[in-house]
Amino acid sequence: MTQFLQQLTNGVVLGATYGLIALGYTMVYGIIQLINFAHGDIFMLGAFGGLALYDVLPHGMQDQIVIALPLCTLAGIALSVAVAVVMERVAYRPLRNAPRLAPLITAIGVSAMIEEGTRLWYPGAKAPLDFPQLLPSGAVTVGGVRISYASIVVVVVAVVLMIALQAFVLRSRTGRAMRATAQDPDTAKLMGINTDRVIVITFVLGAALAAVAGVLQGARLGTVRFDDGFIAGLKAFTAAVLGGIGNITGCVAGGFILGIVEVMAVQYLPSGSGYKDLWAFVVLILVLVFKPNGLFGEEVTVRA
Amino acid sequence: MTSAFLRIFDRYREQILRRTGPRGRVLLIAGVVLCLISSVLPWGVSGVGYTNPLGGNLQSVGIGGPRLYVLLLTLVACVGLTSVDGRRRSSLAASLGNLIISVYILRGLVHEGGGTGAVGVGAWVALVGSLVLFLGADTLPVTPRNVLPRLSAVADIALIFVVIGVGLAALVVGLDIEDDKQFVAFAIFVVALVVAANGLGVAAAFTSAFDRYRYIGYAVAAAAAFAFPFTQHGNAQWMAVFARVGVFAAAAIGLNVVVGLAGLLDLGYIAFFGIGGYVSALLSNAVFTTVHVHLPFLLVIPLGAAVAAFFGVLVGAPTLRLRGDYLAIVTLGFGEIFRIVAINWTGLTKGPNGIAGIPDLKLPGGFDFGKPHTVFGQLLPFQSNYYFLDIFLIAGVMVFFARVNDSRIGRAWVAIREDELAARAMGINTVALKLLAFGIGATLAGTAGTINVHIGEAIEPNAYQFIFSALLLSAVVLGGMGTVAGPILGAALLYAIPEKLRFVQDYRLFLFGLALILLMRFRPEGLIVSRRRQREFHEGGSGADAMSQPGQVAPV
Amino acid sequence: MRNRYVVRAAIPAIIGVIAVTGCGSNKSSGGGSGSSGSHTVVIGMSAPLTGPLSALGLGMKNSVDLAIKQANAANKVKGWTIKFDPQDDQADANVGGTVAAHLASESNLVGVVGTLNSSVAQQEQKAYNDQNIVMISPANTNPALTQGDNYSSGNKSRPYASYFRVATTDAIQGPFAAQYLKSQGINKVATVNDQKTYGAGLVAEFEKQWKAQGGTITSHQTINPGDKDFSGVISKIKPTGAQALYYGGEYPEAGPLSKQMKAGGLNIPLMGGDGIYDPTYVKLAGPKSEGDLATSVGAPTDKLSSAQAFVSAYKSAGYKEDFSAYGAYSYDAANVIINALAKVLPGKTSIDSSTRQAIVAAVQSTDFDGVTGHVSFDQYGDTTNKVLTVYKVKGGAWVPVKTDTFNS
Repeated sequence: MTQFLQQLTNGVVLGATYGLIALGYTMVYGIIQLINFAHGDIFMLGAFGGLALYDVLPHGMQDQIVIALPLCTLAGIALSVAVAVVMERVAYRPLRNAPRLAPLITAIGVSAMIEEGTRLWYPGAKAPLDFPQLLPSGAVTVGGVRISYASIVVVVVAVVLMIALQAFVLRSRTGRAMRATAQDPDTAKLMGINTDRVIVITFVLGAALAAVAGVLQGARLGTVRFDDGFIAGLKAFTAAVLGGIGNITGCVAGGFILGIVEVMAVQYLPSGSGYKDLWAFVVLILVLVFKPNGLFGEEVTVRA
Repeated sequence: MTSAFLRIFDRYREQILRRTGPRGRVLLIAGVVLCLISSVLPWGVSGVGYTNPLGGNLQSVGIGGPRLYVLLLTLVACVGLTSVDGRRRSSLAASLGNLIISVYILRGLVHEGGGTGAVGVGAWVALVGSLVLFLGADTLPVTPRNVLPRLSAVADIALIFVVIGVGLAALVVGLDIEDDKQFVAFAIFVVALVVAANGLGVAAAFTSAFDRYRYIGYAVAAAAAFAFPFTQHGNAQWMAVFARVGVFAAAAIGLNVVVGLAGLLDLGYIAFFGIGGYVSALLSNAVFTTVHVHLPFLLVIPLGAAVAAFFGVLVGAPTLRLRGDYLAIVTLGFGEIFRIVAINWTGLTKGPNGIAGIPDLKLPGGFDFGKPHTVFGQLLPFQSNYYFLDIFLIAGVMVFFARVNDSRIGRAWVAIREDELAARAMGINTVALKLLAFGIGATLAGTAGTINVHIGEAIEPNAYQFIFSALLLSAVVLGGMGTVAGPILGAALLYAIPEKLRFVQDYRLFLFGLALILLMRFRPEGLIVSRRRQREFHEGGSGADAMSQPGQVAPV
Repeated sequence: MRNRYVVRAAIPAIIGVIAVTGCGSNKSSGGGSGSSGSHTVVIGMSAPLTGPLSALGLGMKNSVDLAIKQANAANKVKGWTIKFDPQDDQADANVGGTVAAHLASESNLVGVVGTLNSSVAQQEQKAYNDQNIVMISPANTNPALTQGDNYSSGNKSRPYASYFRVATTDAIQGPFAAQYLKSQGINKVATVNDQKTYGAGLVAEFEKQWKAQGGTITSHQTINPGDKDFSGVISKIKPTGAQALYYGGEYPEAGPLSKQMKAGGLNIPLMGGDGIYDPTYVKLAGPKSEGDLATSVGAPTDKLSSAQAFVSAYKSAGYKEDFSAYGAYSYDAANVIINALAKVLPGKTSIDSSTRQAIVAAVQSTDFDGVTGHVSFDQYGDTTNKVLTVYKVKGGAWVPVKTDTFNS
């Protein structure tokens, strides 16, 4: 039982990361029906942005987690958001009325460029890089289950951000504009909504959340690599589909479910650790076959 | 928009020509003269600079290497002085080629010679000359591409021979160039020449000639493909590369059925290639294997294809009911599942190590693919055997593709691709037909995969990562979706160029990402254009737009 | 006109790009001048020159380059000049296949030094063997490469006659590590491996010896190359009460694994093979990796008297990179080939299949004192030198703690 709870905490931490990344997928897909393949790489860039700032911080500040963590997170957000905005403007916007294949293929190209650009030009990124200890070390033990402070920070930050995003989308004026654009861009435009701006904001929000996830994951695992975004992005997309794409609550739930499934597979299945990346895809296919709108999604009519 | 401009320009062409004429004419003539002079002057300074001159001795008077390219391109640029349609495009391409070559060589001379002291007078003249030439070409009016008059059947057939022959010659000459810089200069020359010729209507004439004498065209192309190994003088290096390219090209055509015809984005395509590969590897009694069975290869091919098809249907059946982009992500997921299973099912696949020491193919008649053979007095390295096998494979796949494309099924696929709801309303069984396309794609990939592992003599899960699916996809997109020849061209370019220019290998994936973005933005129809496709990608433009550009190469 | 605008904008861009990046010159580092003879013979290399393991690969490349330059300068192979053709296999078995096809198709190539990774070697052996090209690895340790797939059942058979290695195998390295851990009073060990030829083989040999000497394996886990989140595996191992973790694999995964173990409260030493014996491991594993262990083949190069000449020659040649773990072995491997060439080539004017066969035979009968000790091969192509060293992380660096000749 202890072992089950121990793995459960691991799963929740993992799921919080997937959920944060998945939000970007779900929002962008909800609004322009684009599977933004490059979103996983935006997540990876967040970690590299944080690392880059950390390396230039004076030594006194590097050791102060309370200062260094927020600063590095901001740097990560800045880099991810900047790249996301450029990506939207240069690669996706010109193709908004093109056949559906075109933006998807472009997204693959953007993903390859970000990944390879990082590998080629970030100093030392051809090998895995050491990520600084930005999260508090140590742990509390509750009933034999060891919960590290680091995982508490990750989960709390993720949950707070998810609630804030939900509030933003439901309550704020911009949030309403986002929902209107998602439902019907043409009508939204007629109602005086600047849909281009709304789309950019969507990309910015998604990138910022992914960047936070990137910095937190880098700090938790102690290492970053240029191709971290690929598998993480795929799993996050699965989480979004699992929860019902376009649905923020569902997306978060999907992230947690996926994280827990993965960790439990490692614990209870034979040679589970080798197959751990497999379950996300099995879940994805099962969901799409039996419940294509996701666990929490409403019936969506296909828009031409 | 563009077509409206073109019509206006057409009407006022004479006036515009008169107005911009004199200044442009002077610039053009000056540029031509300067470039011609530069092509015989020394580009380097003797004793300084390259120890390995760029083709011929750059330090003395004479024509050779890049100077020959400049000379030829300058002659092409002379069309700017005539009133032929498409002269602007052609002379711009030629002068731009000149400009790039001269800047490239200049930089090389400065870099290697350690300063501008290593640069000879010719290089400077070439730089100035090509700049003047370019400015002159830029004053020319925009016209539609030229339409070459149709002469006679003999001329058409001759054109087919000449174009394919020149293509083969360019390939042979290019591969023969060992120095990276020389090759880059040559590649710039070839690209500039192709663009210029395209502007003058050669491509369109070739296409219509090919359409008219299709069987002669295919026969000539096949003959050129068969002739290629004989140009290599027994050297195995390029035969090894092209044996691989051939297999990838065959797989790319299969992917083209799925993506180009039926419009289904399959991002796990490489998995089917891998499934065929593993079936073939396991049944050939390799040195490091888990299954000690050796079946004859002629039996293994259909087995590998069948297993791949089975998995294709298994993945496709449930997901093809869904929207298109879900299919993309599910196939991507399937590709990863395949790879993860191949890594972890060590009892069958030997895990990350893969199965190594796969024997060479042997045909029932005793023909051993692992031995070099002497044909027509030429010793052909053993890789040529696989290359010839590839040609048969590609020919088969091409015939299949062409037949399907022109059939009811092909039309139904196009209808589904264009508008699935409408297609369904017309009584097309969309799910069954999509599944058929998906299954055919998987089958073709499996077939190519069975051959691939014998060429590589080993199989290993990481050769089947997502990025290779993406590479195959970009071969299709680059070459031209929905065309037969496109994927072959795309595969050849994407796989052979990094082999030739080994210094770009590290940048290969970055450049390929960039290329995908630029292609989708500026030329989504690819290098070889299917007329149907072009209309689709340039929606919004009038029909006349597509018609007014007869220079586009139609599906071959 | 849009058309003109695009063309005009393209010009400065294109020219700028050429002027800045330009020729991408990659002058291959040829092995010295061509003064010693008119005929050219090529020695190739397959090693990771880029990517996570490039630190090891570049050390190998420079060391072979040094050996070839010295041989050319001393005119060791009369009438012939040796050229060096290093190729990057990126530590990727798939790329290795392409490299092998490329090298094997060179008509003047007689030998290849490499690879670093056993999994890559497995994909290259056949291509060279088919052409009778000698392949000598300074670093492959998986026994199957020389003794066949069924070596563990005692059914040894050599798959490729042209493949040799100057590194000791995992059949020696794994048990050596087991003996050392036992001598430190450890009884319960968990193992993790990355399922690659090297990692899985190393762990299998370790476990065999460990059980034979009465130890307990508390958990046997596998990961995939490229993994980075090990929290699930660590949580699974922790309650088993392992006193040490034996890892079969390389440092890009081992470093983060060690770091996450200690952060996750699993404070036991990680021990691995030569695949983690690199400074990068210590960097990735962080300050808490103090006390982690690794075995590596041979005695420490800078402690070996026979290696002093090599170390000083390497330094004075001015290579940018350190010779790292396999430099001395690569140097010896290159010299094995050069010695064979010196025996076979003089008097010949071209290289054909019988020349290549003679070179393979000459390599098989190699017998000389190299910088890593005495070099000769047994009937499987394995080195007869069985010296190993245990290293420990101390003060942020690997420090040798025990050097010994293995006996079971």
